[in-house]
Amino acid sequence: MQKMEKEKRTVLEVKGIEKNFGTTKALRDVSLSIREGEIRGLIGENGSGKSTVTSIIAGMQKADSGNMTYEGEKWEPRSMIDALDHGIGMIVQESGTVPGISVAENIFLADTDKFRTGPFMNRKRMTEEAQSILNGIGAENIHAEMLTGALDIQSRKLVEIARVMRRDPKILVVDETTTALSPRGRDIIYNIMKKMRDEGKSVFFISHDMEEIMNECDALTVLRDGEIIRTFEKEEFDEEEIKKSMIGRELEHDYYRTDDDGSFDDEVVLEAKNVTVHSSEPLYDLSIQLHKGEILGVGGLSQCGMHTLGKVLFGAKKVHKGEALIHGEPVKNEADAMRKNVGYVSKDRDTESLVLQAPIGDNISSGGIDRFAKGGFFVSPKAEKDYVDEQIKGLEVKCFGRKQYVSTLSGGNKQKVVFGKWIGRGSDILILDCPTRGIDIGVKQAMYRLMIKMKKEGKAILIISEEMSELLGMADRIAVLKDGRLEKMLSREEHPTEADIIQYMI
Amino acid sequence: MKVRNLIFNMAPVLGLLVLVIGYFVVGTINGINVTYGLKAVVNQSVVVAVVATGAVFIYTMGSFDISLGASTAVSALVAGMVYLRTENLILTFITSICVAVLVALLNSVLAGVFNLPVFVTTIAMLSVLNALILLLININGTGSEVKVPSDAVKSLDTLGFKILILTLYFAICVFLFDYTPIGRRQKFLGGNPLCAKLTGISINKYSIIAFVICGLGVGLGAFLSIVYAPTLTRSTASSVGMDVIIAIVFGGMPVSGGAKSRIYAAVIGAFSMSFLSQIMVMFNLNSGVGQMVKAAIFLLVVFIAAGERKTRTLPR
Repeated sequence: MQKMEKEKRTVLEVKGIEKNFGTTKALRDVSLSIREGEIRGLIGENGSGKSTVTSIIAGMQKADSGNMTYEGEKWEPRSMIDALDHGIGMIVQESGTVPGISVAENIFLADTDKFRTGPFMNRKRMTEEAQSILNGIGAENIHAEMLTGALDIQSRKLVEIARVMRRDPKILVVDETTTALSPRGRDIIYNIMKKMRDEGKSVFFISHDMEEIMNECDALTVLRDGEIIRTFEKEEFDEEEIKKSMIGRELEHDYYRTDDDGSFDDEVVLEAKNVTVHSSEPLYDLSIQLHKGEILGVGGLSQCGMHTLGKVLFGAKKVHKGEALIHGEPVKNEADAMRKNVGYVSKDRDTESLVLQAPIGDNISSGGIDRFAKGGFFVSPKAEKDYVDEQIKGLEVKCFGRKQYVSTLSGGNKQKVVFGKWIGRGSDILILDCPTRGIDIGVKQAMYRLMIKMKKEGKAILIISEEMSELLGMADRIAVLKDGRLEKMLSREEHPTEADIIQYMI
Repeated sequence: MKVRNLIFNMAPVLGLLVLVIGYFVVGTINGINVTYGLKAVVNQSVVVAVVATGAVFIYTMGSFDISLGASTAVSALVAGMVYLRTENLILTFITSICVAVLVALLNSVLAGVFNLPVFVTTIAMLSVLNALILLLININGTGSEVKVPSDAVKSLDTLGFKILILTLYFAICVFLFDYTPIGRRQKFLGGNPLCAKLTGISINKYSIIAFVICGLGVGLGAFLSIVYAPTLTRSTASSVGMDVIIAIVFGGMPVSGGAKSRIYAAVIGAFSMSFLSQIMVMFNLNSGVGQMVKAAIFLLVVFIAAGERKTRTLPR
């Protein structure tokens, strides 16, 4: 059976691809192929070249050298539209929807003319067709007539998926899409991929989640520093071996905390007191306390209110009842929270935590300008350079220097910049909303080390996460939220399991 | 890549240099008095350069003020009327600044109160100010003009004074823009307002600051307008609004604001435009053709800037 699998026809072949961005070699002599009816995983640290190679295949950019063949013919897509016209579609890592138009218009983007009769657009028919596509991929809860900007990040991602699937591609590239999705959203993607495989189509699947990539893929190609390191067939899958190939060494130290000590100081530093928020992700009479030296995990289903809680505690969301307190004082707004030494890392990194079209230096210094400006007013270029370089060095951000634009960084390095923004200003309390979303195991481990170090220094961390293993591995206590209410508080000393969390979150 | 970036960043400066050389070469070949022409260049550029330098703070935030020309005219008219009543130049100067800053404050505070994009309030303000120009001339002037005696401002109508005002204001703006949290935060806001908000940066606060700084420039520009052309009419500063926009783009400022905003863009752009105008005059091109050439160059600059942004935002 396995032999037969391997004898399947090769649909696309990439040979000797090279790609440089300035002095950075993004791809070095990359050769790989995909067979019909195959889900091929691509894995590697942030910046290893996974997105670059697939974006070349999908027509987003061109290689500097090398060649590709698709269905036995030379493959040189002029653009993503051209690639999709020929059956290769890509769901990109960053948000790829237009917020100011309806879901239906996003799904039929650049193709709405088919609903036009003379000067008139048949919106009803377009909406109906869009809804049918959404239903077809299992996203019935998204209404095609809605304004896309009003949707949350997961729903926007599903709209993108619907847009690509509408064209019934022969090869689909799924680039770190699942990181933006809840378990339900992930299931939608998995079902699409499996259906494609059953129909003899092919999928490139990029993810940092080792478990899902091992579960879903038929073969796995590891990239490191722009080179192909090894391709594992399904029967060769071995987590430790794959990790070793990814980072070029054994993972040193433990991944999560190894201690069972869930102790922390009695002093309450951050508190939600009977908080009620009426929004798309509401909270009802929620009370929760974060103590000095504590890592408090908050988990639940994606709409349980945990992301709202993060914003409320940072003063970024209006409270309708109750109050958010920092050191016992009500928090007025984001600036007030920052004055009280609170930092906030948003789940939606590219939209809420970074200015992509700005240098690394500007992003890092934006959080701490009041710290290094003399008298709070004069920004000395040297003081700023020292401040920024210290964060870049301390967090080991892979970049040419502080003037490099954030948009050119990989996901993990972007997240390091966000951390640098808040750690640099010496935040005593950190609210981290899905801090390791879309980042590789090497960076993840570095982030966890940092959190443990901060805890030891007496700092307090509220970590909101959709990864149960992360909550179990890092938190002193875990608050499980359900439908905007606190369902259960679990303590580290009780040795809770994933089953315990699931029991209370569903 | 570094060389390419350097060339692109220096392009506006190089463009100005080319125009300056072109001006001297064409002038000398045609036997034109280039020194006299240079004075005209400064006179043409200085008001636009001052107003546009302040406007950079607004553009940096990705915002827009369409009422700058009208605001300059109203400030000049009110200040001119104050001179006619008091014959005090210092009071005239202060009035010019105060009126312009007041208009700027109104624009930004109203936008904050009604939670509107600032450019929306500036559109409304443009109508109000245009009406005010007519009203002031009718009530306080001869019906068609407000005439400040030219002798009163003659001593200030020198290149030295104008360049001094521009230099001082420019220096203040460079300091605020590049060496204080004001400019840095405004750039950040222009890049991503939502991220800026979640970094504790208040959009309303920095909008008001940007408009006040710009108002100061408008006030100075209004006073310089009185000095250069003391007879104030409906056409006073009428082209300033549009010239400011063109100058800023000419100088290499991205229309969307953000990290690539440059404070020197306004001065470079204003002088580039004036040199270009002078060169066209030397070629005996009429003003209509001149405007079309300017429009073509404007589009070219925006096109090149947009293309450059695209090539630099590729995924890794």
